[in-house]
Amino acid sequence: MKKLLIVSLLLAPHIPAYAEDTPIVGNVQTRCLITTDTNGVFGNPLPSKLSTASADGGVVPVIRYDVTLADAYHAKVTTPTAFSSSPSLSDSVTWTGTTAVSKTSDAGMSGYEAAKVTYGSTTQFDLTIAGSTWFSSEATAVYGVSKSFPGGSYTAIVLAECIAK
Amino acid sequence: MKSLLLLALLPFCNAVAHEMTPTYPTFSKSFMAGISVTTLNIFNKRKDVSYYEIGVFTDKWEPIPFVSEYTIIPMKYLDTVSFDVYVSNLSLGSVEFICSVSQVQAGATVSSKICSRIK
Repeated sequence: MKKLLIVSLLLAPHIPAYAEDTPIVGNVQTRCLITTDTNGVFGNPLPSKLSTASADGGVVPVIRYDVTLADAYHAKVTTPTAFSSSPSLSDSVTWTGTTAVSKTSDAGMSGYEAAKVTYGSTTQFDLTIAGSTWFSSEATAVYGVSKSFPGGSYTAIVLAECIAK
Repeated sequence: MKSLLLLALLPFCNAVAHEMTPTYPTFSKSFMAGISVTTLNIFNKRKDVSYYEIGVFTDKWEPIPFVSEYTIIPMKYLDTVSFDVYVSNLSLGSVEFICSVSQVQAGATVSSKICSRIK
């Protein structure tokens, strides 16, 4: 039995090894990914007011931007200035909105909020660091002069843009 | 009164995403004389979006005529679509941005737009 084992060991180096290197290939390229982390919900604290602010019973929409290359993109977030769907409204609606950095994946992004540029209902951020940034975008709609919004479903759209520099 | 108002309630904490690559596409000669082409990719991780509209713009955001298989690309959830954009060499020097914009369905609350830049 021992002889058989010794013979087997001696022959072992002659047994070909069927092993190959299996490469794993990948390609990382510059990209911007816009993700809706939280959809907004309007609260209705007053008959004439719809607001996504949590103090008003709403849910603030949160949008995440992932960029893989520093200093390659601008993020622009535009708060709504009209309803995309609503019951028929006979009076004007006054819109206000703000967009702010709510969370970042890198401490160096802390300056984004101070450096933001706002024009009209659009807020622009310079994404100078690679990583993820979360933006929260509050919107408030006030109907007429203390008029009650008619009953029904209201939807408004936040536009999130990622523009290459 | 409040109960009469049905607000836009959508499921939240439901991550959905839109991606377009490359960031800096380059045009090359196409099979037709006088026409250049570039290829881009869109990844749709938005369940609430089935179409993306393509646009080509100058640095002042003026639209530039272009040809692609679709101007509005139909996409299923988690699809990646590769598409060619053909532009006349006469207007090639003015092309600055190629953008894709999500065409949101009723009830969606976020529209996404990603623009690649010609350098």
